[in-house]
Amino acid sequence: MSDVDVKPVIVVEGLGKTIKGRAILQDVELALPAGQVVGLLGKNGAGKSTLLDLLLGFALPSAGRCSIFGHDSARLPEAAKAQIGFVPQQDELVGMLTGAQQLGFVASLHRQWDRALVDRLAREWELPLDRRISTLSGGERQKLSVLLALGHQPRLLVLDEPASALDPVARRRFMQEILEIAGDPTRTLVYSTHLVGDLERAANRLWILREGRLAFDGELDALKESVVRLHLSASRDFATLPALPNALHASVQGRLAQVTVQAWEPAQAAALAAQWDVEIEVEPLGLEDIFLALHA
Amino acid sequence: MFILHPGSGVPIYRQLVEQVRRLVAGGQLQPGVELPSVRELAVTHAVNPMTVSKAYSLLEAEGVLERRRGKAMTVAAGGGARATLAQRQKQLAPQLREVVAAARQLDLTQAELVALVRQQWGQGS
Repeated sequence: MSDVDVKPVIVVEGLGKTIKGRAILQDVELALPAGQVVGLLGKNGAGKSTLLDLLLGFALPSAGRCSIFGHDSARLPEAAKAQIGFVPQQDELVGMLTGAQQLGFVASLHRQWDRALVDRLAREWELPLDRRISTLSGGERQKLSVLLALGHQPRLLVLDEPASALDPVARRRFMQEILEIAGDPTRTLVYSTHLVGDLERAANRLWILREGRLAFDGELDALKESVVRLHLSASRDFATLPALPNALHASVQGRLAQVTVQAWEPAQAAALAAQWDVEIEVEPLGLEDIFLALHA
Repeated sequence: MFILHPGSGVPIYRQLVEQVRRLVAGGQLQPGVELPSVRELAVTHAVNPMTVSKAYSLLEAEGVLERRRGKAMTVAAGGGARATLAQRQKQLAPQLREVVAAARQLDLTQAELVALVRQQWGQGS
């Protein structure tokens, strides 16, 4: 992997967006090297789609700036745009065309187009290309949108809820294709979704937005190692809730207490056990539980 | 060969590292045995290939695995030496803690738990 370009693919500096006096996004700072798969997480309205819109130059920032491949997002040259694939949340398909016609049209806009890849995926994903788009199901429309974004083999692929309408079988096939791309150290993915299980498989990095601010930017593995639930059992009832450093959430029932903490280090366990005179069981948390704990 | 739970709180790379260590320590993976390629494992389990290569790199650094030039990851000659009883017992500690904690929640006695372990052992895998 030594020959890989180490310059960041995406750089975001002091980025903010205000719409009608309301701050949608504030003070976002990011730098993403090539070869990463980033999962973008956040509650509804946390600013995910706004961040993607600003990154891709579909909207202008109210503060700060962002760039892709070293070019300001607001003024991306055609050569840079040709290296980006985007699957929007609301697809932009033309209902009166067939899938094959729309694919042909988009292919004609690109200098390179991997027809074999598109044909193979359409077959594997059981997508009927000869039907009018207006007659396709929600899941079929999503599959077509993904094909439109993959055909030119972009170096940066941005996906906004690409698999929300896919059934579990289709989603697994889609994920395998995503992982195939993830295996190429020159290609980068940004993947926004509420399907936390998909991110646990595909993403190596996470951006978590909370109320328009970046609440986490780091490796998924590091997050899983740093947010844990402690089960404390004492010899008698807890008089008060144990106040632990970095606690996100705590509850007590008799001589048992549960505390979810962040910035956890395994070495802390012994010290806390002695301090509170308790036995400590450390429970690692899945991403969904971590997400809930960070929003408690 | 491996059992991976992406939704678990234990990062996937650590699940993989621990399982390879156990299989090697127990002699189930003998020195010279080739492991599946990063891509193969990633696609089979539908997990990020970087996660798999992170696990392999850690195991290589520990001397459990070795990468022959241009070849697949293999179990290292030295790393394949069967671990001592104490080392192998230690590797079971996390699972044991969980079982004992669950048994306590169920108000089982030590003898009742041991009886269950015997019974399960008798049933094979």
